[in-house]
Amino acid sequence: MSSQTRVELRKDLFADERDDNLNEIGRPTARQDILGHVTGRSPFFDDHQFDGLLHMRCVRSPHHHARIRRIDIAAAERMPGVRRIILGRDVPHNLNTLLSLIDFGRDDEPLLATGKVSYVGEAVAAVIAETERQARDAVAAVRVDWEVLPHVLDPEEALAPGAPIVNETWPRNVFEYHDKYTHQKLRFGDVERAFARPDVEIVEGRYQMSPIEQAPTETCGAIAAPETNGRYVCHTSTQALFFSLGTTAKLLDMPSSRLHFIGGTVGGGFGGKVDSLHEPLAVLGAILTGAPVKYIWDRAEEMQVGAPRGAERWYLKDAVTRDGRIVARRFRGYFDCGAYTRLSSYAVQKATGHLPGPYTIENVSSDVYCVFTNRTPATAMRGFGITGVDFAIECHMDKVAERVGLDPIELRILNAYRDGDMKAHRRLAKNTALIECCQVAAEKAGWPIRPEFAAMSSLTGGGGDRAAIPETVTDEEGRVDGTPAARPAPRPAAPAPAPAPATASTSARPAAPATRPAAPPATPPAAPPVAPPVSAPAPAAAPAERPQERPAQKPYQPQEPFTRGVKKPGAHRFSSLSGTRRR
Amino acid sequence: MGLTVETYASAAEAARALAAAQDARYLGGGTLVMRAVNYGDQSFRRILRATDPALGRIAAQGGRISVGAGVTMAEITESRELGFLAPAARAVGGPAIRSMATVGGNLFAAHPYGDLAAALLALDGRAVLADGREQALDELFAARGRGQQPLVTAVTIARPERGAFRFRKVSRVKPKGVSVMSIAAWLPRSGGRIAGARVAYGAMGPTPRRVPRVEQALEGRTLDAAGVQAAVAAAAEGLDPPEDAIASAWYRRAVAPVHLRRLLLEEDG
Ligand SMILES: Cc1cc2nc3c(=O)[nH]c(=O)nc-3n(C[C@H](O)[C@H](O)[C@H](O)COP(=O)(O)OP(=O)(O)OC[C@H]3O[C@@H](n4cnc5c(N)ncnc54)[C@H](O)[C@@H]3O)c2cc1C
Repeated sequence: MSSQTRVELRKDLFADERDDNLNEIGRPTARQDILGHVTGRSPFFDDHQFDGLLHMRCVRSPHHHARIRRIDIAAAERMPGVRRIILGRDVPHNLNTLLSLIDFGRDDEPLLATGKVSYVGEAVAAVIAETERQARDAVAAVRVDWEVLPHVLDPEEALAPGAPIVNETWPRNVFEYHDKYTHQKLRFGDVERAFARPDVEIVEGRYQMSPIEQAPTETCGAIAAPETNGRYVCHTSTQALFFSLGTTAKLLDMPSSRLHFIGGTVGGGFGGKVDSLHEPLAVLGAILTGAPVKYIWDRAEEMQVGAPRGAERWYLKDAVTRDGRIVARRFRGYFDCGAYTRLSSYAVQKATGHLPGPYTIENVSSDVYCVFTNRTPATAMRGFGITGVDFAIECHMDKVAERVGLDPIELRILNAYRDGDMKAHRRLAKNTALIECCQVAAEKAGWPIRPEFAAMSSLTGGGGDRAAIPETVTDEEGRVDGTPAARPAPRPAAPAPAPAPATASTSARPAAPATRPAAPPATPPAAPPVAPPVSAPAPAAAPAERPQERPAQKPYQPQEPFTRGVKKPGAHRFSSLSGTRRR
Repeated sequence: MGLTVETYASAAEAARALAAAQDARYLGGGTLVMRAVNYGDQSFRRILRATDPALGRIAAQGGRISVGAGVTMAEITESRELGFLAPAARAVGGPAIRSMATVGGNLFAAHPYGDLAAALLALDGRAVLADGREQALDELFAARGRGQQPLVTAVTIARPERGAFRFRKVSRVKPKGVSVMSIAAWLPRSGGRIAGARVAYGAMGPTPRRVPRVEQALEGRTLDAAGVQAAVAAAAEGLDPPEDAIASAWYRRAVAPVHLRRLLLEEDG
C-alpha cells in the first residue's frame, strides 16, 4: 500500500482543542473486513448452505393503491414444488411500526397486506416452494381481485382537502407529532417581524430532492431454519441485528429467546438494511414448513420495493440585510415517507434539530411535515434527515449571495455559527469550524476572499448576545386534538405569502403571528440552558419560553397490546437513539 | 414447470422448431434471454439454440459484407473487415456483455437497446432468414413484437467508403450507460456533396428507425455548418421518442439536433 497521503492535518486550527493522538487519519489503514472481501471468504448470509432449502417469493401489488377483494391461491397451491402460501392472516401480529421498539409512533404497517395495498410492490402473499423458479411460477399463478383506488404521489397533493387517505392509521396523511400537531415545529425568535423590517431583502426558494436508492451490491435477504428446542436460527443481511430480532419477535408474537439471529457481513447497507421485512417472513416460513427457508429480493425488488431515502421538498424564506446578515429564515418542509412511517418520522426530527444549518440566525421558524403518499415507504440513508435540507440550505445560500451581491464564501463566513452561539434548537454551539473550513476551502481552490474574512475565527466573536434565546412567538397551527391551546393567547395571523398546504384540520396555514404577544414571557438571556451531558439535539418542539421543559409525551400505545419484541414498553427513550455529542 | 433447452445442429432446423412453437425462445448470446429466465419470465418454457458454424461467419459478398447472427460484439471489434462497425459494437454494454451479445439478439433487443442495430440499419442492412429469404431491416423492425419472430441467420450490410460512416451513442453514464439516443449515418459523397445519405437513430422509437427528413435535407449538401443546417433543423421532426428512466421524450427531442450536428460536423475519421 502506498504510504503517500494527500491528507493535510491543519493542527494550527483548534490546536488546544484536539488531542494530538490521531492514529488513523492521514495514515493508510486496512479496513477490518478487507482481507475477507478480497480473498472471497467473507461469509454473507446467502453463503450458508442448508439441506432442503426452500425459497420464498412474494405476490406484489401492481397498483399504487387498491383494495384487495380476494386472493385466490387455489391454483398456485397445487403447482409443483409449492409447500405453503402465507397470507396476512397467518402472521400472528400483523401490524407494526419499526420505531415502536423505542416507543415512537403508531403501528401502521402489516407484514403482508390484507385489506388494501398502498404502494406498488407491497406484498400480499408469500409463496414457499422447492426451487426459486417454482416459487416464481406459483407467484404468477396467484390471482388477486383488485379494486383500484385513487392514489396520491406528491406530498403537497396528499395534504390537499379530498386527497385519498393513504394509511388509515394516519387519517390526515401526516404523522402526528407528539400526538398534537400535523407537523414538527421549531420556533426561535420572530421571523415575521424580521421579514417586515424596512432594511431587509426577502429571498425565497423552493428545493426538492428525489428518492435515492441505497443500491447495495447484496440485495436484502434472510435464511431461517428450525433449530432444536423450538428455536429458529436466522442468517440475515440486516444492518441492525437486534432491531430485526425485536421486530421479528413482535410480528410473530414469540419470545426473542427462541430466535437465534446471526448477522455479520452486510453486503452494502447504507441505511437500506434496517427495515426488517425479511427476517420475520423467513422465520415464519420456517415455522410453517418446518424447513429452512430463504427469502431474498432480486434486483428489481430491491429497486422497487426496497425503501429508499425519501423525497423531500423545502421552501425557504430569508430576510437579509444589505451587508449580508441573514436575520430571519423560515422553513416549510415536506418529507415524503411513502405509504408507511418506517423511520421518516425520526428523519423529520433530525432535520429540524439541524436548522437553520451551520449559521447563526436570530429568528428561525420551521414547519416540517412527514407526509404519507402512495409511494414506496422511505427509510434511512447516510446523512439521514439532513442531506435534503442541507442541499436546500446551501443552494439557498448561493441564491442569497447572488441577490445581495456578496461572494458566496464570504456570505457563509459572515453568517457562520461560532462557538458559544445559541442554536435554534436551544443548545449552545461548540466545536464550530465552518469559518475555518470555508477559509481553507477558498485557499485550496485559489478563491480570493477579502482579508477581514480570512482573519475571522469561529473561536472568537461568538457567545454574548449571540448566546441569548430571543423572545419567541409560538402558535398552535396544525393542532390536531382540538383541545384549546395550553398557553398562548390567540393572535391575529398574517396572510401567508407562500402557497399554503391545507390539512384536514386547518383550511389555511396561518403564518406565524405578526404581532407580539401582549406580555412576552421573560427569557433568560444570561443563563442559557445547559445541555444534558449525553442526549443529543432533542426533538425541537419544546416551547421556546421555557426551554428546559419538554411537553409531556404520551407513552407509546399500540393499537393492540403486544408483549413480544420489547422487553418493557417504555424502557428506552427515543432520544437515546441519537448517540453522543462531540466533546 | 421446468425449462428445457433444445440444441439444433443447423439453423434451418432450429428455425423450423421455432416457427412451430408457441412457448419457445431462441437463444443468441443470452444476455437478455437468460435475464428473463432469472426473473421467472412466464412467456416461454423452451429455449432453442443452434450450433451451426454458419451463424458465426463474417464474409465479403461482392460490395457487401455478411455478418452471421451469432457473431458477438467482441468479435466485431476484433474484425479487420468490420473496422468501421467497431465503434457501434463497442457501444454495447461492457466487456462481459460484449463477449456474449450477438448481432441477431441486438436486432430484437427492446428499447433502449439496439445500438448496433441502428448502425446496421444505416448501412442498408438486410436480414437473411433461415430459408434464404432476405428482409430489409426496417421491415423486420416494423414486424417486431407481432407474432413469432423469424430466425435470422445473418445480416448483410453495405461496405461504406472510407470515412463515410459515422456513429455516436449518447448516454449519461460513460462507458456502459444505456442510450439517450444513438445516431448512425452513412454519408456517401460525390464531388464533396452528399449523395444517398442514410441516417438511423436508436432509442428514439420502439425500434431503431431511419430519419428520412434528415436524409433528404442532406442530399446534395456539404458537411459544413451551413450545409448541415437544414438537416439539424429536421433532426427531431415527426418523432415521438419513448419516455424512460434515462430521459423524457421532451429531452430526447431537445438534444437530438445537438448530437446530430456534432456527428455531422466531426472531423472525417
Ligand atoms: C448489462 C447489460 C447492458 C446492455 N447494454 C446494451 C447496450 O449498451 N446497447 C445495446 O444495444 N444493448 C445492450 N444490452 C442488451 C443486449 O445485451 C444486446 O442488445 C445484445 O446484442 C443482445 O444479444 P444476445 O445475443 O445476448 O440476445 P439474446 O438474449 O440471446 O436474445 C435477445 C432476443 O433476440 C432473440 N434472438 C437472438 N438471436 C436471434 C436470431 N438470430 N434470430 C431471431 N431472434 C433472435 C431472442 O429470441 C430474444 O428474444 C445490454 C444488456 C445487459 C444485460
